[in-house]
Amino acid sequence: MSEQRFASRFLLPGAVWLLLFFLVPLGILLAISFGTTDDLGNSLYGWHPSNYADAFDPLFAPVLLRSVGYAFATVVLCLVIGYPIAYYIARFGGRRKNALIALVVLPFFVNYLVRTYAWVAILGDEGVFNGAANTNIRFLNTPYAVVGGLVYGYLAFMILPIYAALDRMDPALIEAGKDLYGSRWNTFRHVTFPHTFQGVLAGGVLVFLPAVGDFVSAQLLGGPDEYMVGNLIQQQFFAAENWPFGAALTTLMMGFLLIFMVMYLRSAAKASREATA
Amino acid sequence: MAGVSRRDLLRGGAGLALGAGGLAGCQLNSGVQADAGDTRKPFAKKIDGDLAYFNWAEFINPDLIKGFEKKYGVKVRESNFDSMPAMMSKLRAGIEYDLIFPTAEFAQRLIRGNQLRVIDRDKLRAAENVFSAFDQPWYDRNSAHTTPYTMYATGIGYRADKIDSMTGSWRDLVNPDADGRSFMLDDFQEGIGMANLVNGYELNSVDPEELDRSKDFLVDLKPDLRGFSSDTTTNMTSGNAWIQHLWNGDVVNIRNQVDNPEDFKFQKCDEGIPVGSDTLAIPVNAKHPGTALMFIDYVLEPENAAANVEWIGYPMPYRGGAEEAFAGLVKDDPTIAVTVNDLDNGQQFENLEGAGRKAWDRIWTQVKVA
Repeated sequence: MSEQRFASRFLLPGAVWLLLFFLVPLGILLAISFGTTDDLGNSLYGWHPSNYADAFDPLFAPVLLRSVGYAFATVVLCLVIGYPIAYYIARFGGRRKNALIALVVLPFFVNYLVRTYAWVAILGDEGVFNGAANTNIRFLNTPYAVVGGLVYGYLAFMILPIYAALDRMDPALIEAGKDLYGSRWNTFRHVTFPHTFQGVLAGGVLVFLPAVGDFVSAQLLGGPDEYMVGNLIQQQFFAAENWPFGAALTTLMMGFLLIFMVMYLRSAAKASREATA
Repeated sequence: MAGVSRRDLLRGGAGLALGAGGLAGCQLNSGVQADAGDTRKPFAKKIDGDLAYFNWAEFINPDLIKGFEKKYGVKVRESNFDSMPAMMSKLRAGIEYDLIFPTAEFAQRLIRGNQLRVIDRDKLRAAENVFSAFDQPWYDRNSAHTTPYTMYATGIGYRADKIDSMTGSWRDLVNPDADGRSFMLDDFQEGIGMANLVNGYELNSVDPEELDRSKDFLVDLKPDLRGFSSDTTTNMTSGNAWIQHLWNGDVVNIRNQVDNPEDFKFQKCDEGIPVGSDTLAIPVNAKHPGTALMFIDYVLEPENAAANVEWIGYPMPYRGGAEEAFAGLVKDDPTIAVTVNDLDNGQQFENLEGAGRKAWDRIWTQVKVA
């Protein structure tokens, strides 16, 4: 068997997988986005670009801006919380490293929706927190609760790539920084952080992309003024019975997110070229 | 181009994805395709498998489900929806349920689309208990496809221990005493319908100017609302809601779950209230229609209906146990009453079609994003 044929056989399962579960649904989504509906709400295929024109209604601009704002705040908070956790595990985890990483991942075995519902019970006006602390704080149905839910939901996506970058880094570099009379902060700023920057970037993208399209957090923890793009799309599918418009919004959203994805991939490719050069 | 299978749909999608398909111009249908003949296929009233059951949450006494499972040795696999459109979207996806609980107007829509099985009423032992007003309901000729389940009225639930300034108007939804603890139902019909009533329009108005003013009313309410949520029981029992737009029976369900039931009250609003009914029905693609029919019969049994009414808090339009059980609940609190007369005289949601439905959906989206 030639090497090429051997390689193509190994490519086949992955290619079939991509075709069945990515390209086909994407094709259906695109087809529906140009469609219309019958009286039962079923999608009828056709040529109705008006779904896309409707999506550019200025009415939706604040919703998009809000979603991007919440997602950006989520990335920043995840970084501030996640970097020290990743740093601690990578540098001081010792024998317990794998156990600690497992703890970071553990909550993901529980459905995100269920975990968010748990926050509703914890943060309610007469919930666990207010009851235990004997306070009367109104957490729920605020932007803080929504961003908090997003941070909680996606924090692990930030911790893992940063941990991987830190773990790969040679600790001798940090020692060298200190040997050269760098303060702790200067060593971090000029040695550690630049070395893990690709991990930070990967974490940022991994958090930003799902956060900007999230609807669960705003649905359960938000109020009427925390409506996000994800809620708008969800509403078209499950309330307005308008799959074509929902599909058009989804397609546009994917295009928008693709910009960030491409920016990240280019930066990662550049970094790896520089590393091997 | 009718009668297209899911495989055709997949093929169509794949074709487009591979750049091979000019689907434009070719009308392919998604959803469950069925004709009148499919709805009339006869089936025996006997256990023919586990029951795939699809209902609102907390809309049946759980003892009934346990009792049915025990009596007939089958499993009831329960799933829930939180709105009629959400139910429709699962049905359109082709998921095979045996028993669903559509409201009257959505039952009519499903019947028109050949989506519900015809039921042989003679096979239901307790069918004669159903109020004769439902022999010829407006949504289902001869009650051929549906069995009435409950009747409801929409109003405002409130905490009487926190709020003593209710005025009787829908505007109480944003009563300042609630201090921002007010929730509106996350339901396009109830939201827009309520606004239409407040403005003095017909409940089902699709007049563009009237709808525009109803939209403005809802947008003006938003700053004082804590949220849109149909999770009424959780909102009120958790103390997060002091005022909640809800359906009459929910109040009974809530009272059954709290230590201070006397503090939870229901207000029927002066501008008029939507009233309506729910039904039991068997989807056309049900795998176990026999078990579903057995379940309907089981629910109709007077002692089961009575136990159900006491738990869910909604009247079931059956003579015997259910009627007495609801009379008992109304004696404690007359405000929760709904009768067949209310249905005749009150305003019921209609099955909006075409441009009217699209206008309501557009306005509801505009309210949400405003």
